[in-house]
Amino acid sequence: MNSILSFKIAIQTFKDNLKTTIIIMGLFGIMAAVYSGMFPSFKDMLDQMAASGGLDPFSSFFGMAALEMNTYVGFLYLEMYQIFIIIILAIVIGFIAASIVSKEIELKTIDLIMSNPISRKQIVFEKFIGLLPMVLIINFVTMIAIMITTSAIGESLDFNNLFLTHLVLIPYLMAILSIGILISVIYDEKMKCSIIMIGFVVAMYIYQTIGQMISSFEFVKYFSLTYYTNLYNVLKLGKVNIEGVIVLCAVTIVTLIIAMIYFEHKDIKI
Amino acid sequence: MNVIETKGLTKYYGEIKGIKDLTLSVEKGEIFGFLGPNGAGKTTTIRTLLGYLNKTGGDAYILGQSIDENIVDIKKEVGYIPGEFNVYGHLTGRQFLDFFSSLRHREMTLLDDLLEIFDLPLDRRIKGYSKGMKQMLGIIQAFMDDPDIVIMDEPTSGLDPLLQQKFYTFLNKQKKKGKTMFFSSHILSEVDKICDRLAIIKEGELVALENIDTLKSKSGKKIRVKIKEKPEKFKGPKDIKIVQGYIEFRITNDIDKWIKELSKYTITDIEIKDFSLEDIFIHYYEVDT
Repeated sequence: MNSILSFKIAIQTFKDNLKTTIIIMGLFGIMAAVYSGMFPSFKDMLDQMAASGGLDPFSSFFGMAALEMNTYVGFLYLEMYQIFIIIILAIVIGFIAASIVSKEIELKTIDLIMSNPISRKQIVFEKFIGLLPMVLIINFVTMIAIMITTSAIGESLDFNNLFLTHLVLIPYLMAILSIGILISVIYDEKMKCSIIMIGFVVAMYIYQTIGQMISSFEFVKYFSLTYYTNLYNVLKLGKVNIEGVIVLCAVTIVTLIIAMIYFEHKDIKI
Repeated sequence: MNVIETKGLTKYYGEIKGIKDLTLSVEKGEIFGFLGPNGAGKTTTIRTLLGYLNKTGGDAYILGQSIDENIVDIKKEVGYIPGEFNVYGHLTGRQFLDFFSSLRHREMTLLDDLLEIFDLPLDRRIKGYSKGMKQMLGIIQAFMDDPDIVIMDEPTSGLDPLLQQKFYTFLNKQKKKGKTMFFSSHILSEVDKICDRLAIIKEGELVALENIDTLKSKSGKKIRVKIKEKPEKFKGPKDIKIVQGYIEFRITNDIDKWIKELSKYTITDIEIKDFSLEDIFIHYYEVDT
């Protein structure tokens, strides 16, 4: 079979990360269940805050969704998606992606891999493909956990919108993956790569927050990938920001191509 | 027929010289020794040849194909045992070999033979392997699909003498089948034992490239003699040395002249022997140092 189509490295990468995938999947599934299940306990307090204008100060920081935090969708978006998916999951996925090639160089396992008839571009591409199932599994298990908990607590949520939200998350997490892989091929020390990646995700969040809070700095939000997800509109109204999805897909493709070209020309020293 | 050819191959790491102007050729069916101490440029040569490092000058061809254009195709016919490598500790030996077999897309015709030579606990996780066992795994993966060329960077490191011997026998068997092996080492005895031709590299540059026997015969003979008179009295050739009261010097084709010269003194002990590879190696490395 043609080596380009066999995806042996991708399969091995998936297998290598299977245990990690299961652990993260479990943690995020539990977290999603806990956070969505917490809503009834907070509902009365949040209603009171909304009635007295207590949620208003949060709107400049968390956007308009904060004003509807007393609704299930608003609560879910702010507590679950804004913090745990957009930031924490991105950090976790980015952390793993940022070490995916660098750890092979640091641990000297890349030498034997590269002794095979596989191009360096293919190695990078297959590493990306190999990490995709992890992203999809965690993403959709989190969604299923939210669905089950929502039904259990009797809250109403449009499951079609929920599914769309998790579809929109795929290009966002893919962009995070490809940026992580780019960092991973530039530096040889896996810890350095992972720290840079964490810094990148945090900086992205800060950019979006600054863009939202300070009108004269509104332009900085465009540098944040989170801006292009616009998950609240998807979760509440089922309105997908198509341009945003295209930007995220473009970032994924361009970053991956840069990573492949960079790795192709990199000296693999001992 | 040359299966490996380099023409002025050069690699600089910024300002630092790795290898410079390396021109050599390896013929089909030979075991080619590549000798040099640590840091001489052996690994840089191999890694440049196999595309791990980007050359900064010259050209290199393997099986007639340029390493710049066809490195992936070249690797279909080339096995490689890196000098320093690691294997995935979480895999068992069998899983590792299965994975690598799948990457080579060929029948693993030598795998059973190799597993007979190198008896490995294939169902144990590699993280429990000793250094020697990991080295064996590196050797197996390089040879298992019986490639035309195998490039080895100090392949016997970590192997016990018995396994080394079995490995040399295996290499000779491969040679008889017409396979070519590029054998980098800093262990003179093994190069002397198994290699047909030899290149010596010093500070990134080639200082010798010769058939081992020719190199030895060209190097002449080593005379070690003790005379009753003060050794300083003997006017020998330029490279004469006095070691522990013995006069030592190298002669090439003027043996008669020096024996006659020595006959003028009272000889108490004399040893005349062919140059060993070790003597040749030391000779190249003593020049200019």
